[in-house]
Amino acid sequence: MQILAQLIASGIAVGMIYGVIAFGYQLTFATSKTLNFGQGEALMLGSLVGWTVVAVTGYLIMLPIVLAFGLLQGAVVERLGVRQAIKTKSEAGWIMATIALGIIFKNLAENIWGRDALKFPSPLPEAPLSFMGVNVLPMEVAIVVGALAMMLAVEVFNRRSIYGKAVVATAVDRDAAGLMGINTSLVITFSYALSSMTAAFAGVLVAPVTLTGASMGGVLGLKAFSVAIIGGLSSGMGVVVGGLILGITETLTGYYISTGYKDVPGLVLLLLVLTLKPAGLFGRATIKKV
Amino acid sequence: MVRAALKLGLVAALVLFPFVVTSPYYLHLLVVVAIFSIVALGLDIVFGYTGEVSLGHAALFGVGAYTAGVLEFQFGIGFWVALPLGVVVAAGFGALLALPALQVTGPYLAMVTLAFGTIIAILINEMTFLTNGPLGISLTKPFFADLREALPWLGMSKPRMRDVEYYYVVVACLLATLVVINRLLASRFGRAFEALRDSPVASDCMGVSVYSHKVLAFVLSAGFAGLAGVLFTYSEQYIAPNNFSFDLSIGFLLAVTMGGRKSRIGPILGTMVVVFLPNLLADIELFRIVAGMIAAVAVVVGGIIAVRAPERRVYVAIPVVLCIGFLIFALWLPKITDYKLTVYGLMILFVVYYLPDGIYGLIRQALLRWKRAGAAQIVGSGAWSAISPDTVSGPLLELRGVVMQFGGLRALNAVDMTVMPGTIHGLIGPNGSGKSTMMNVLTGIYIPTAGEIRFEGHSIAGWKSPAIAAAGIARTFQNVQLFGELSLLENILVGLNHTYRGGVADIVLGLPRAAREEAAARARAISLLEFVGLAELADEEARNLPYGKQRLLEIARALALDPKLLLLDEPAAGLTAPDIVELLDIIRKIRDHGITQVLIEHHMDVVMALSDIVTVLDFGQKIAEGKPADMQADPAVIAAYLGTSHIEAA
Amino acid sequence: MRASNLFLTLVATTMLAGVASAQSIKIGLTGPYTGGSASMGVSMRDGAKLAVTEINKAGGVMGRQLVVIERDDEAKNEVGVQIAQELINKEQVVATLGFINTGVALASQRFYQEAEIPVLNNVATGTLITGQFLPPKEKANYIFRMSANDTIQSAMIVEEAIKRRGFKAPAILADSTNYGQLGRTDLEAALAKAGVKAVAVEKFNIGDTDMTSQLLRAKSANADVILTYGIGPELAQIANGMAKLGWKLPMIGSWTLSMATFIDNAGANGDGASMPQTFIQIPNTPKRKSFIEAYQAAYKVDRFPSPVSAAQGYDSVYVLAAAIAQAKSTEGPKIRAALENLQTKVEGVMTTYDNPFSATDHEAVTYNMPVFGVVRNGRVVAAHEEDVIGDKALRLKTK
Repeated sequence: MQILAQLIASGIAVGMIYGVIAFGYQLTFATSKTLNFGQGEALMLGSLVGWTVVAVTGYLIMLPIVLAFGLLQGAVVERLGVRQAIKTKSEAGWIMATIALGIIFKNLAENIWGRDALKFPSPLPEAPLSFMGVNVLPMEVAIVVGALAMMLAVEVFNRRSIYGKAVVATAVDRDAAGLMGINTSLVITFSYALSSMTAAFAGVLVAPVTLTGASMGGVLGLKAFSVAIIGGLSSGMGVVVGGLILGITETLTGYYISTGYKDVPGLVLLLLVLTLKPAGLFGRATIKKV
Repeated sequence: MVRAALKLGLVAALVLFPFVVTSPYYLHLLVVVAIFSIVALGLDIVFGYTGEVSLGHAALFGVGAYTAGVLEFQFGIGFWVALPLGVVVAAGFGALLALPALQVTGPYLAMVTLAFGTIIAILINEMTFLTNGPLGISLTKPFFADLREALPWLGMSKPRMRDVEYYYVVVACLLATLVVINRLLASRFGRAFEALRDSPVASDCMGVSVYSHKVLAFVLSAGFAGLAGVLFTYSEQYIAPNNFSFDLSIGFLLAVTMGGRKSRIGPILGTMVVVFLPNLLADIELFRIVAGMIAAVAVVVGGIIAVRAPERRVYVAIPVVLCIGFLIFALWLPKITDYKLTVYGLMILFVVYYLPDGIYGLIRQALLRWKRAGAAQIVGSGAWSAISPDTVSGPLLELRGVVMQFGGLRALNAVDMTVMPGTIHGLIGPNGSGKSTMMNVLTGIYIPTAGEIRFEGHSIAGWKSPAIAAAGIARTFQNVQLFGELSLLENILVGLNHTYRGGVADIVLGLPRAAREEAAARARAISLLEFVGLAELADEEARNLPYGKQRLLEIARALALDPKLLLLDEPAAGLTAPDIVELLDIIRKIRDHGITQVLIEHHMDVVMALSDIVTVLDFGQKIAEGKPADMQADPAVIAAYLGTSHIEAA
Repeated sequence: MRASNLFLTLVATTMLAGVASAQSIKIGLTGPYTGGSASMGVSMRDGAKLAVTEINKAGGVMGRQLVVIERDDEAKNEVGVQIAQELINKEQVVATLGFINTGVALASQRFYQEAEIPVLNNVATGTLITGQFLPPKEKANYIFRMSANDTIQSAMIVEEAIKRRGFKAPAILADSTNYGQLGRTDLEAALAKAGVKAVAVEKFNIGDTDMTSQLLRAKSANADVILTYGIGPELAQIANGMAKLGWKLPMIGSWTLSMATFIDNAGANGDGASMPQTFIQIPNTPKRKSFIEAYQAAYKVDRFPSPVSAAQGYDSVYVLAAAIAQAKSTEGPKIRAALENLQTKVEGVMTTYDNPFSATDHEAVTYNMPVFGVVRNGRVVAAHEEDVIGDKALRLKTK
């Protein structure tokens, strides 16, 4: 029982990491029907920039700097990689361009910060907390709380502010939003900026636990991609639940079946979800209009 | 002529290559290019034609490779058995991969392929008893025939002869791949793949099942990946699970994108770039030379365009400046190893930006401009005649209590309707009254929640679109659903898909039946185009047609199904007055051919002029039915169109 | 871009390069310089280039300068194969040094073997590496190694864990790559020889950030020591994962536990981890002292990112140079023959090489040579002080 609880606790921490990255996919997909295949690299860059800044300023002052960096980075990705492809309606275009930008970012990071994994100083004590025999790191609790808080903040922003409403309007119907005088291409740029900002935030949030380094983005980005699909690219809540499902599945499979096949049930689940409920567990199925 | 000469020259160059260039390095590079080209050409079926992004082709390639590896390693079975088996096994996995593809497209399908690839990679790594796990499998390249004594003048050593023989086998496989893919993609299957990319709904309604063709595309594509996998195993002589990673899938996609989709030359060109790139980017000298050449070409091409078309100067200047900047960057860069991935990424971006159709796309554009001057005219071949439907005694179509529920919204509420053969049956109602929903229910796009639909006495409720199309119901769409990148002629040919009997094998083997059926279909397609007056534009891409002509093309395409019942969904919407006159004429002619029609229309004059009987819907209910003149006078109909308050006031 | 154009360029550059360096001796240097195992590749490269610079300064070999052709194999087998072909046929190197990843070595070496060009593996440890092409099946074996192979390391790990420190219930944690899984096989064999069976054998992937399931499985099997085969970052996650579970077992594992990425990222949790080392950054011989100082000066570091890779990379150049000098030739078979019967003693960082190879033995490192290192306060020091002082400081190959 205690082992099960421990596995679930660790699964939640891992799942939240996936979920918060997946949230970024969801943001851009909603407005532009495209997503950033370099999302993992956005996370990595945020985390490494944070690593450099935190040494000077400390954790709390570092956060706004990293958030601003994330906004900028996302806007750059959209301008360089996605805008042209949206204009020409080329699916291959945005996929290849965001992958290319990811490769470039990773290589630049290798040359700036080196090729090794780096230790990110933890703002919280590193001794585990123990609840009834289940151990968690304070930082893992911070990940769960921080991720939820950030997603909540973005949702509130989208619902309450006029900019957010433009985002939602574009997500619901880009053409109609355009006709209503909303600058949809600016909204898309903004959603990319927001998406990279959440990724950068996720980067500095998870780095004390996962280590940071130029190659940290790859695996996390891919896992988060499958989480986004499981949860449904149209649902913010879905990605959280999707992340938790994948994280917990991984730790449970690892313990109860075999650590060699740890990733398989998650992927099978993904295929099942796509076969049975293609829009994702929480996605809205759209009615075909002809 | 020129094409044939080019092809012959290419084959000759490939045959002579080992005697001209004796370095085993270039021979091996060419073998690798040929093998990866086979994968890229296969990937193009899925990526270029059906428009789906596959991130799992490295795994399919791996399945082929491991089929060969396991056969040799576990059972001592060699190359000639592995070659066909690798194709079959990989094709089987391709079918498996396509199963979830029934439901999803776009990024979702990309994710399916990615997950599939990851699972395969894990299985290869974990199933040590079969695949030898992470240790990998070593084997030796087959030595097919020792010709040293028979052909002493070659002066080849044994290993050299082995390599050269293997090179010829690989080249033969590549040429075979080219022939097979060329034939398939020029056939009805190629058209079907493009049709389902441009409009899945319309494909299904033309009797071209999206699902079975998607599966076919994946199976074919996987088969080629498997073939390449077997060749790869024996060429490299060592395979391990980490050969077949996600990066390789990206590399294949990149090869197709960079070279140019929807062509044979493109994927091969792209593969060359991708294969040579690591070498190019390993050597700073070589890199600088190539960057210099690119800059020189850019300056020359840019200069020519600037002189010929001054208005495009600014547009052209950007890539030229970029190319020169690239050269400066190359000269400045002290060491390339550390930045080679950045260069790689920049090259991809450049292609995405300035060569959206790839390298070959650029060449093709230039060639097309050249050719345009002397495009041949297609001559028609007699007027179209419908295969007259059997006369049915009772009603052709009968709806009883049909209900269509979307969540809380009841779009159709217990609708009854009867369509008699040979009539034009008008279906009218205000916006949102359920007319288009009715069309979608009749063609299987929506499955009705309740009720009965009988067509020629058979219940068709719950049937899928392709089956309904095959039964003889054709339709047009309110928002035109043409296959935009296909020519007019090809659009019609998709509708004529049902006239073919020959399968994949006929086409691949080039049997006479395939050629005969194609010729017959083309003749019919042209006569259909003549029927709607579009024959002169037969080779134009459908997306370039003016709107009114697009509607006519849709009608012609629907007629290609030889339907008993034709559903026209607002055919006059957006048409100019002269176009409408033409349309009325065409609809009457179709009736004269004995084809029953259901007509949804907002132009009352059109409905009144054509319909034998009119059904009126409002809020999903049938509120009236009868002769057009009676309907115009019916108070309930007037109320529905003008609002109830109006009635009360009156 | 036409194929013929590209091809012409390639030929042109080959010729250019050929003319420019007709007098120099070309050596291939291949390893991953980008990606996850790059720190080992880069350390190896830096060590090797340091040696090349020294040799060239001292007049080169046979009066000719050594030129390093370095190629990044990205830890990918197929790239390694292409590089092998390129180095052999286009660059026409006389020998190749390198290979960090066992898989890349296994995939690429065949081409050197066929071309009769010697390869000195200076980091990769898979036991099979030197056994791929043994006589009498082949005329001669062109594959040599200057690192402690997995059999040696596994035996040492088991010796240390079971015999020296008396653990009874080892759990094995290995990554899912060739490296980890081949090492795991060797570890299991070594344990069987010692009459012990691992109570848990677990896997993890490169990039895994959570080791809870693996560790809990080891814990519920009542393991008393963790034996590892993996690389730096994931090893650090194991150490950190144990700290999180509040269940600290000693870690003993392959040489990669000395990687900076393990030491830094595990921090205090990594203290006490021990591993076999062919070289520890201690200046206990004059050669080691000068090497450490030269490396620190050249690359402006205090602590080496991967000391073992650097030392082995450095030594491999000297051994190869001695063989070329002895062969008085740059022909592969002659260099191979010279390597198999090296007359001059080569004073290296790891050891002094006194006839390190023979026709039947292509391993420069024997069981007695590596010593156990342990992580203390962020540095690797000798686990057993007596191993590295006095006459034990310099360990020679047993014959």
